[in-house]
Amino acid sequence: MVEALIFYMFAFVLIASAVMVVVSRNPVHSVLFLVMAFFNTAGLFVLLGAEFIAMMLVIVYVGAVAVLFLFVVMMLEIGKVSMKEGMVTYLPVGLFVGLVLLAELVFVYLGWEMAEGAADRRLFPTPDASEVANTHALGQIIYTHNVYLFQISGLILLVAMIGAIVLSLRTRPGVRKQDIADQLDRRREDAVELHKVESGAGIK
Amino acid sequence: MEAMTEIGVFEIGMTHYLVLGAMLFMLGVFGIFLNRRNIIVILMSVELMLLAVTINMVTFSAFLQDLTGQIFALFILTVAAAEAAIGLAILMVFFRNRGIISVDVVNRMKG
Amino acid sequence: MVTFESLNFSPAIPEIFLAVMGMILLIFGVFRGDKGFRLVCWFTVFSFALAAVLLLHLADISSLAFGGMFVTESFAVVMKVIVLTGASIAVLMSMQYAQREKIARFEYPVLMLFSTLGMMLMLSANDLMALYLAIELQSLPLYVLAALNRDNLKSSEAGVKYFTLGALSSGLLLYGCSMVYGFSGTTNFNDIAIALSAMETPSAGLVTGLVFILAGLAFKVSAVPFHMWTPDVYEGAPSSVTAFFAMVPKVAAMGLLVRVTMGAFGGIAEQWQQVLWLMAAASALLGAFAALRQTNIKRLMAYSSIGHMGYALIGLTAASIDGVRGLMLYMTIYMFMSAGVFAVILLMVRKGQQVEEIDDLAGLAKYNPVMAVCLAVLLFSMAGIPPLAGFFGKLFVFQAAISGGFYWLAIIGVLSSVVAAYYYLRIIRIMYFDTAENELDRVEDTPSLFMMRGTAFLAVIFALIIWPLFHVLHEAVERLLAI
Repeated sequence: MVEALIFYMFAFVLIASAVMVVVSRNPVHSVLFLVMAFFNTAGLFVLLGAEFIAMMLVIVYVGAVAVLFLFVVMMLEIGKVSMKEGMVTYLPVGLFVGLVLLAELVFVYLGWEMAEGAADRRLFPTPDASEVANTHALGQIIYTHNVYLFQISGLILLVAMIGAIVLSLRTRPGVRKQDIADQLDRRREDAVELHKVESGAGIK
Repeated sequence: MEAMTEIGVFEIGMTHYLVLGAMLFMLGVFGIFLNRRNIIVILMSVELMLLAVTINMVTFSAFLQDLTGQIFALFILTVAAAEAAIGLAILMVFFRNRGIISVDVVNRMKG
Repeated sequence: MVTFESLNFSPAIPEIFLAVMGMILLIFGVFRGDKGFRLVCWFTVFSFALAAVLLLHLADISSLAFGGMFVTESFAVVMKVIVLTGASIAVLMSMQYAQREKIARFEYPVLMLFSTLGMMLMLSANDLMALYLAIELQSLPLYVLAALNRDNLKSSEAGVKYFTLGALSSGLLLYGCSMVYGFSGTTNFNDIAIALSAMETPSAGLVTGLVFILAGLAFKVSAVPFHMWTPDVYEGAPSSVTAFFAMVPKVAAMGLLVRVTMGAFGGIAEQWQQVLWLMAAASALLGAFAALRQTNIKRLMAYSSIGHMGYALIGLTAASIDGVRGLMLYMTIYMFMSAGVFAVILLMVRKGQQVEEIDDLAGLAKYNPVMAVCLAVLLFSMAGIPPLAGFFGKLFVFQAAISGGFYWLAIIGVLSSVVAAYYYLRIIRIMYFDTAENELDRVEDTPSLFMMRGTAFLAVIFALIIWPLFHVLHEAVERLLAI
C-alpha cells in the first residue's frame, strides 16, 4: 500500500515533468524539468532495488549531462533557435498516431509473458540482497564478464571527447599565451647584450 | 517468474513500470517530432527516450532477478552522456553558423 | 571465475590492434598538429591493411570470445574485409579533397578509424549489448564527420539532422532490445534463438520488440521509411565524408541485419520477412522515383543508395542461403560502384571550387573523355546493364526472391530498376550530348583518379572474377547459418 503510493507519486511527477520538458516554451525550464524527471526516475529505481543505477542517474545525469545542457542553453541564448516551422500543423495527426502506438504498447504489456525457461537463461542472476549489495554485485561482473562492453564504452567516450574538441576548439591567431617551457628555455645570453660603452662614444 | 497478467491498483507489478516506460518513451518521440521550435529540446527528448529504455531495462532486471538489465542500463547511461556531449557540440557549431548567416536559413535544405 | 584465458581474446585481435592504432595515431596527431594530416591518413590506411591481414588468419575459425558477446566466423571475416577495403578507399580519396576544402584535420582519419572499428564490432556482435555499443561507436564519429566543415552552414545542419534522427533510431533500437530482453531473459543471440525455438506462436511482445529493432537498423541502412535523413546529410556533409557514408557503414549495417534476422530471430522468419518485404519494395520504388527530379548529384546518389538498399533487402527477405549470398554480393558491388562515382564527384572542380550539380558535367566527354567513359561505365553498372558488375548483383538477388516465392517483390525490383536506369542514362546523356559552357578543371588528385579508373575497370571485368568471389561468399553464408 505504502509502496503503491510512493510509486504513484514518483510516476505522476515523472510523467508531468516529462510533459513539461516537451511543451515548455523556455528551454531553461525544460532542462530543470528534465532534472526533476531524472530525480523521480532515481526514486523508482530505488523502489526496484537498483540503488547503484539510481545513484548514477543522479550523479551522472543531473550532475553532468543536465548541467551541460543548462550551460549550452544559457551560453547560446538558444531560445531563439528554430529548425523548421510548420511542424505544429502535424500536431493532431501526430498525437493520434502516438496515442494509438501507446495504446498498443500498453496492450502488449498487459498480456506480457516471458518465454519458457527465461529464468534458466539468465546470464547474471541477482544475488540475495541481504548478502551482496547491489553495487557490489554489479562491480563483481562489470569488469570481469563484461570487460568487452566496458572497453567499448571507453572508446565511445574517447570518440565523444575527440568529437567535442574537433568541433568546438578554435585556435585564434595572435593570442599571446604564457609558455612556461619557453620562459625557462630563455637564457641570459639570448635576451641581454652587454656592451662596454666608452664615455662620450655611445653605442654604434 | 509469474506473468503479470492481473493488475491491481495497489499491487505494483511489472506492468505498472512498463506502462510508465512506454508513456515516457512516447513523450520522447513526440518531443522529437512535434517540437521543432527548439533544437535543444529535441536533444532533451532523446534523453527522455533513453530514460524510458533504462526504466524498462531495470524493471525487467528486477522482475527477472537478473543483473544483465542493470548492466545494460549502465552502459546506456554512459553512451547517453557521450551522445549528449557530441549532440551539444554539433548544436553549438550549427548555432554559430546560424548566428552569422541569419538570412534565408529557415529552409536552406529541402526535405 | 573469469580469467585472462577464459575471455579468449584471440578472435578479437584485429579489432584490438585497430583500437590501439587509433590511440597511437591520435597521440601522434596531437603532437604533429594538422600538418601531420597526410601522414595520419597513410598510417590509417596501413592499419586497415594490417587488420585485414590479421583477419585472414581467422578466416577458417568459428569461435566465440568474451563470454559469447563476440563471434567470429568466415561471414564476419569476409564482411570485415569488405568494410576495411571500403574504409581504406574512402580515406585515400579524402586526402586531397580535405586539403582543398580546408578540413584536413588530423582527427578526420582518426574518427574514420574509430568508426570503422565500430563497424567491425557490429559485424561480430553476438549480444544485444555488444550490438548497441558497437552501433554507437560506429555512429558517433559519423555525426562529427558530417559536421566537420564547421564554418559551413550546410555541413553543420547535416550534422544536426543526422544526429537527431540517429539518436531517435538508437532509441527505437534500444526499446526493442529491452522488450526482447524482457521476453527471453537474455541478451545473447544464441540464447535468444533457443528461447524462440521453445515457443509455438510468437508472443506479441517479442514481435513488437523485433519491429523496433528492425526500425532502428533500417535507419542505419537508410531503408524506407527511415530514409529521410539521407538526401540532406549526403548533400550537406563534405563530399569525402559522404563517400564514406555511402560506401562503408551500410555494408556493416547490412551484415548486422543479416546476423540479427537469420541468427537470433531465424526461428520467426515469417514475422520479419513481412516487415522486410515492405521496406525492400518501398525503398526500391522510392529510390527510383524520387531520384528522377534531382539536380544535385549528391542528392541523386542519396536516392540511388536508398534504391540499392531496397534491392539488397530483397535478398534478405528471401531468408535463404541464396538470398544472403546475393545480398553480400550486392553490397560488395554497390560499395565499389559508389567508390567510383564518388571519386568522380570529388574530382568535379571548376576554377578551384567544388561543384555538384549534374549539369556541371555537361559536355564532359569532349574535353575529358577518360573521366566520362569511367563515369558512364559506373553508371551503366549501377543501372544493372549486362555484362557489367551491377547486373550480377541484381540478378542473384532477384533470383533468390523468385526461388523463395516472392514473385511480386522480384517484379517490383525489376520495374524500379528500369525506372532507375532512366536517371542514370540522363547523366550519361548530359555528359555526351550537351555542350559544355564551363569546363571542369583537371585535378591532379591521384588517389581519386586511380579509384575512378580502378572501379570502372572492375565493373567491366567483373564477369571474370565473379565465380571465385561467389564461392567465398557461399561458404561464408553456410558457416553463418551453421552456428
